[in-house]
Amino acid sequence: MHVVWLFLYPIVALVVGVLFLGLSRKVMARMHWRYGPPILQPVIDIIRLFSQRSASHGRLFDLGIVLSLAGSLIIVLFLPFGDVAPLSGSGGLLVILYMMLLGPLGIALSAGESANPNASIGISRKLMLAIGYELPLLLVLLAFMSRYNTISIVEVVRLQRATGWSIASFPLVVSGVAYLLILPAILAIRPFELVQAPQEISSGPMVEYGGSYLALAKVQHALSMFIGISLSVNLLFGGASHPLIFLLKMLVILMLGLFVNAAFPRLRIEQAIRYLWRWPSLIGLVGLVLAVVIGR
Amino acid sequence: MDRNQLVKWLKAPAKMGHKYSLHAVYFCTGCGIIEVPPSITARWDAERFGVLPTATPRQANLFLITGYVSVKTLRAIIRTYEQMPEPKYTVGFGSCPINGGMYWDSYNTIKHLDRYIPIDGWIAGCMPRPEAIFVAVTHLWTLIDKDMADGYKRYRKHYAAYRANQEKVLRGLDWPPLFPVEEQ
Repeated sequence: MHVVWLFLYPIVALVVGVLFLGLSRKVMARMHWRYGPPILQPVIDIIRLFSQRSASHGRLFDLGIVLSLAGSLIIVLFLPFGDVAPLSGSGGLLVILYMMLLGPLGIALSAGESANPNASIGISRKLMLAIGYELPLLLVLLAFMSRYNTISIVEVVRLQRATGWSIASFPLVVSGVAYLLILPAILAIRPFELVQAPQEISSGPMVEYGGSYLALAKVQHALSMFIGISLSVNLLFGGASHPLIFLLKMLVILMLGLFVNAAFPRLRIEQAIRYLWRWPSLIGLVGLVLAVVIGR
Repeated sequence: MDRNQLVKWLKAPAKMGHKYSLHAVYFCTGCGIIEVPPSITARWDAERFGVLPTATPRQANLFLITGYVSVKTLRAIIRTYEQMPEPKYTVGFGSCPINGGMYWDSYNTIKHLDRYIPIDGWIAGCMPRPEAIFVAVTHLWTLIDKDMADGYKRYRKHYAAYRANQEKVLRGLDWPPLFPVEEQ
């Protein structure tokens, strides 16, 4: 059963991520008072893109996107999905922290090979945004590690089952708020949609992607969305005892994210960095100090 | 709409994908572009037809030529068209790309766009309303279904003729031929 889940779980994550993309397009359309595309529209797009041949811009252009996708798939295996946790090793949180940079890095390597000026601007924005949210994310994860005295995310979920959701417990609520403040940046939704920004820089790193490259990039985007939401459910909202309940919790977080996405305009990159390194970092630092002091 | 017909999907998934995922290059050639923002935003909502504007030709498979085509724009149109991955569909929007329209006597616009790049369908009118785009999209679906939207194949087959026409208007094309042009 364990081995079956090892292969099944990434596929489930892919399907859920792509369906979330479709659902978000539909929900955004209804918020605009439009009818919106069918929920399976991203599936149709991906089928279309895989059937098209596009220009490659070199070896690294092909490999970078695969690297990014592989990094995302590995993180997925470390995240508990209900009671399913295929790679429940001891150091889950540290692996996730390291691997989370692999997604942007792979896209940067790949898009950099295309030598398009718009792609270069997009890459610099993507990496700066990644650095922007990695700092508060590190503070938040350190607070969780020191509070629960473990670096395993499976253990964090298991302890929350005994003590209640960590967002409802005192010192961790501060870190939880910090995490929710950086969640739009991790998901790359609207206040932090500055990486793709089709109106400014012709969809940024994606500008030279077509055909199957774009399909892989879309799949990677869906996976990174799954990772961000799944991490928040596992850390803050106590995971779940069954995958279906876990999916329900993820859906609630996604809807909250979509409301933010629909309500806010896009920030510029320096505004985004200023925001990320000021408020979420400050709150995350306070949360870390509280977790260390009270945890004693 | 037969978007939900499972048998067709199983028989030819790629063709159905091309049908229902038409990503249009957001390329402004003339005054016709003014009809595109209302048709992609909340008023007419092209996304329910699977039509989405993209900012780059690499991601697109639908090219709407909106309005008159000046000689200078023709150069950009040809480059954009050649960058799009196959299969790709082009639709001329408004009467100017069809036969010059009110710019018939102009020294600086071309009259028949389909002599320079292959066109799969036309939307006549000056201006056509946004609804006409949706009529065109549903016609394009029928054409794709019957394998009649074969502009990209015609471009490949008659590339020498197209290239000759392009060179007649744009003296000194500064890019190499997309397909090999055999000497006759």
